[in-house]
Amino acid sequence: MAKRILIIDDDPDFVAGIKSILDTAGFEVDVAYDPKTGQKELQSQTYDLLLLDIMMGRGAEGVMIARKLRKDAKLREMPVLIITGMREQIAFLFPGEPIHPRFVEVDELVEKPVEPTMLIEKVNALIQAAEVRKALTQ
Amino acid sequence: MHSKPKILIIDDEEVVLDSCIQILGGESFQVSTALNGSDGLRLVQELQPDLVIVDLKMPGISGFEVLDRLEEIDPTIVMIVITGFATVSSAVDAMKKGAYDFLPKPFSPEEFRIIIRRGLEKRKLILETIMLRHEKELLREHFAHIVSHELKAPLNAVQQNIFALEFELSGVLNEDQKEKLVRIKVRMEDLLKIIDSWLRIISVNIEELEKNFSPIQMTTPIYKALENIETIATRKNVEIVSSFGVKLHPVWGDVLSLSEAFVNIIGNAIQYSRDGSKVIVKAEENGTDILVTIKDFGIGIPKEDLPHIFEGFFRVKSGQAAPTGHGIGLVVSRQIIEAHSGSITVESETGTGTAFYIRLPKYFIEKSNKS
Ligand SMILES: Nc1ncnc2c1ncn2[C@@H]1O[C@H](COP(=O)(O)OP(=O)(O)OP(=O)(O)O)[C@@H](O)[C@H]1O
Ligand SMILES: [Mg+2]
Repeated sequence: MAKRILIIDDDPDFVAGIKSILDTAGFEVDVAYDPKTGQKELQSQTYDLLLLDIMMGRGAEGVMIARKLRKDAKLREMPVLIITGMREQIAFLFPGEPIHPRFVEVDELVEKPVEPTMLIEKVNALIQAAEVRKALTQ
Repeated sequence: MHSKPKILIIDDEEVVLDSCIQILGGESFQVSTALNGSDGLRLVQELQPDLVIVDLKMPGISGFEVLDRLEEIDPTIVMIVITGFATVSSAVDAMKKGAYDFLPKPFSPEEFRIIIRRGLEKRKLILETIMLRHEKELLREHFAHIVSHELKAPLNAVQQNIFALEFELSGVLNEDQKEKLVRIKVRMEDLLKIIDSWLRIISVNIEELEKNFSPIQMTTPIYKALENIETIATRKNVEIVSSFGVKLHPVWGDVLSLSEAFVNIIGNAIQYSRDGSKVIVKAEENGTDILVTIKDFGIGIPKEDLPHIFEGFFRVKSGQAAPTGHGIGLVVSRQIIEAHSGSITVESETGTGTAFYIRLPKYFIEKSNKS
């Protein structure tokens, strides 16, 4: 069965580029173009991985989603691949913290634009690690 | 100060207060008075005056103490002292404590008016400077936002779609078509890198940096940096020889930003070295400073270029290999080091090698109550 991925990103053109790579690689991909819709999708459906943009709307709204996930017992273990256009901005937003503050238990960060092979590698690795963890805890 | 300037006069002699009010009478000021230091300080909190006139000699809290407290409450308030005794020394002491001017008793109405006018002008300047600084800060942040969002986001979207095209068409395209895609990709990548470089420069927020300062060992950020560039060194087969003095005196700083500076400088030393050579990293005490030396035996920097390497977007134009960087590393490093009240200097000879010297003052306790 194909793995399911949700993308939350407010830039439709960027999403098109990411989605078609993932489609080609055989994933089943849903998209939410704003944080609110994203939240709804996360609650109503089951995904194997979330691809999350950080800077959306009027600021770092992606961070809000990530923080909510962290508190959600059901979604906390879902792997999150953070895609950001601004590594520098992250340092801005969290002065004094390492470039990549942990948002959820399991996450990783890549920079836009993402090379296809690297994207697929990361996505596969995160999903696999999550499955191993799940198998171990059951 | 769009509304009437607010003036507070603190003096234990009612006669003085009365005559001051009279001199300043009319519509142009909002004048308040207090007969002693503690009442005066209470009023300061309440009124937030532009200018405070303080008699140095009062029963209760002394004028000097009032000055100290005022400075704590709001350092932008302009303070003027009235000196009763005809001694210059107390006026000088008051100026040392931050008073802007002094008024020896007895004074004429004209003298009083002049000093008030000068004081208020000073206040206006202070407020304008603060506003300008604030505006500059906003502009910088705004600029960072524009650069990152309005410029970078569309480029990211374009590049991502090129990636997608290339990925999906990998079996279909002929060599010629592939080459065209590669050309587009490479130029896009260059553009994105330049924007990133700009972002790196404007993202160094010196004032934010200082909030994270604490006493640290200079070796901590160096170790962090070395960890970071180990792979580059291995790839270039460059050996890093480090020697650190035992138990160095601490410095006042921020580990993360300092390690970024060291990554840049040691990274350069490796990058501009020959394969198989050495880079020396040394940290030691040197008078009132901690001195870090980063020395390589690489290509060196021509004399005429030395003054420019810290200016930003500068790369030595010495034929050979095309430059790979953007001339950002050293500006960012210099900014970080200077934010630490330190300095960075360089000595170099073409063909022989380059040495960078980074000096940060040793940390002593009294620094901590600076702010
Ligand atoms: N150790 C060194 N040996 C020789 N040349 C150096 C050395 N360090 C710096 N330079 C010269 O100074 C220039 C500016 O250095 P800087 O680190 O600011 O930029 P860069 O290395 O070109 O790019 P980047 O922004 O990626 O670091 C370099 O391009 C190089 O010509
Ligand atoms: Mg460099």
